[in-house]
Amino acid sequence: MNKFILYGILLLVYLGLSKSLSPTEFGVKYINNDEALAEIINGAPVSVILTDIHSTGFLIKTFYHKYKIIYGFQAYDEIIIRTSRSYTEKKKPFLGMSIFRRYKEDSRESFTPLPPGSVFIGNRSFGSWVTQNSQKVWRFFRVYRQIPKYLEWNDFVPNIQIYNEIIANQEKNIPYYGENKEFGIKGSITQAAFPKYFERQKPEKVDLKSFLQTYLKENFIN
Amino acid sequence: MNEIFDKLLIRILFTCFICLALFLYKYAHIFFYPSRKKQILKRIYPSENYIDTLHIFSRLIGVALIFSTLEFNEYIGISISTFHFFIWSIVGFSFYLLSIYILENILFYNFDYKDEVLKKKNAAYGIVSFTNAICLAFIIKTIFKESENSIIILIILWLFSLVLFGFSTRLFKYVSKLSFNSLMIQKNLGLAWAYSGFLLGNTVIITSSFSHEHHDITSYMIQVILKTLLGVLIMPIFRYGIMYVFRINESDSQGSEESEKHLGHGIYIGTVYLTCALLTSIIIAQIHFGTIYPFF
Repeated sequence: MNKFILYGILLLVYLGLSKSLSPTEFGVKYINNDEALAEIINGAPVSVILTDIHSTGFLIKTFYHKYKIIYGFQAYDEIIIRTSRSYTEKKKPFLGMSIFRRYKEDSRESFTPLPPGSVFIGNRSFGSWVTQNSQKVWRFFRVYRQIPKYLEWNDFVPNIQIYNEIIANQEKNIPYYGENKEFGIKGSITQAAFPKYFERQKPEKVDLKSFLQTYLKENFIN
Repeated sequence: MNEIFDKLLIRILFTCFICLALFLYKYAHIFFYPSRKKQILKRIYPSENYIDTLHIFSRLIGVALIFSTLEFNEYIGISISTFHFFIWSIVGFSFYLLSIYILENILFYNFDYKDEVLKKKNAAYGIVSFTNAICLAFIIKTIFKESENSIIILIILWLFSLVLFGFSTRLFKYVSKLSFNSLMIQKNLGLAWAYSGFLLGNTVIITSSFSHEHHDITSYMIQVILKTLLGVLIMPIFRYGIMYVFRINESDSQGSEESEKHLGHGIYIGTVYLTCALLTSIIIAQIHFGTIYPFF
C-alpha cells in the first residue's frame, strides 16, 4: 500500500512540476469564457474574428483558437489561444464571425456573434452610406480601404438592411449570420476566406498500396 | 599517394598522442588516489589478482570511453587540434577520476580498497567498482557531448549528474531486499549482479534524460529533472509487466542453498532492472511529439 501512495505522490510531483516548469505551458494563453477573451484584447474600436479551430493530442485533446484582431487605427493582429472543449463547441458555429467587439465611444463590449467588422459598419468615423443600385450600402473611407481586406469580406457589401439586422440582433443577443447566412461555419464567405479549417475536416484518403510502396521505397530501397 | 601517406602519418601521430594522454592519466590517478600509488606504478600482473585487474582496467575502459567523444579536427591545424585534445582530455579524466572518487566514497563508505581488493580479493567489490567506473564514464561522456565545448556548462552538468547518480545509488533498498553492506562483506556475487544491473539501469535513465536539445541551461535542467522523474514513474510499470508476462515469482524457492538463492535473485534483479531501464529510455527519450506550439 505504501508503494502505491509513494507512486501517487511521485505522479503528482511530476504533474505539478510539468505544469509549472514545462515550456509547453508558457507562451500560449488559456481562456475558457468570453470575459477572459475580453481581458486579453486591448484597444477600441476592435473586432475579434474567430478564424480557425484546432485540436492536438491523441486521447486527451487540447483545443486552440486562432483570432484575427482588427483594430480601427492600426494593422491587424493574429493570436492563438488555448481553450476548453466546451468553449470550442460553443464557438464552433461562429467560425469566421466576429465573436467580440469593443466600441470606442462608450467602451461598450459585445459578445454576440455577428458578421466580421460589424463594429465598423455604421460608424461615421470609418465610412458613410452611399446609394448604389437604388440601395444604401456601406463604404469605408479611402484611408480605411484596407479594413474590408483584413475582414476577408471578398465581395460582401453591407447594406442598410444588414446593418439594421446587426443592431437588432445585437440588442437581443442573437447571432446573425448575414442576409443569406454567408458567415459562420456553414457560410460561403467563411469557407472561402478561412479554408484551412475546412481542409483539415476533409477525411484523409489512404491508399494502402501506394502508402506501402512509398514506405518501402523510402525506408528500405533508397 | 602523398596525401594518403600524410593522412596515415597524422593518424599514427594522433594515436601516439592518445597514448601520451593515457600516460598523463596514470599520474593523474596517483594524484587522486595517493594510497594506490604502488598498485598503479608497479608492473601489473593481471593473473596475480583478478579483482585488482578488474579494478584498474575498469578505469582504463572508462577513460577510453571518455576519449572516444573527443575529436581531432586536422583542418583547423594540427597544433590547435592537438592542444584542444590535450586540454579536453585533461578536463575529461580529471572529472572522471573526481567522480569515481566521490561515488566510491558514497558507495563503499564502509569498505576499504586495500582490505577488499588486495587482502580479501572480494569479487563483489571488484564487480560493483567495475560497473561504477563504466557507468560514470558513460555519464561523463554524455555530459561532454551535451556541454558542446563549454566548460561552464560542463561543470554545471557534471555536478548535476553527480547529484542525480549519487542520489540514485541510495535507492537500492527500494529495488531489492538484498542488504548491500552485509552481503558485500560476504563477497556475495548475487549482490554484485544486482547492484551492477541497478547502477547500469540508473546510468541508462540519467544519460537518456540528458540527451535532448538545449537552448538555455535552466529549461534544459528542468527537462532533465522531469525526464528522470518520468523514468521513475515508468520503470515500475515495465517491471510489473515483465513479472506478469514471464510469471516471475520473487518468493524464496525451497531446498536451494542461501548463496545460490542470492545469486539467482541478484541476477534476476540486475537483469530485469537493466531491461526496464532500457525500455524506459525509449519512453522518456525516444518519443517525439514535434513542435510544442500550435501553428495552424
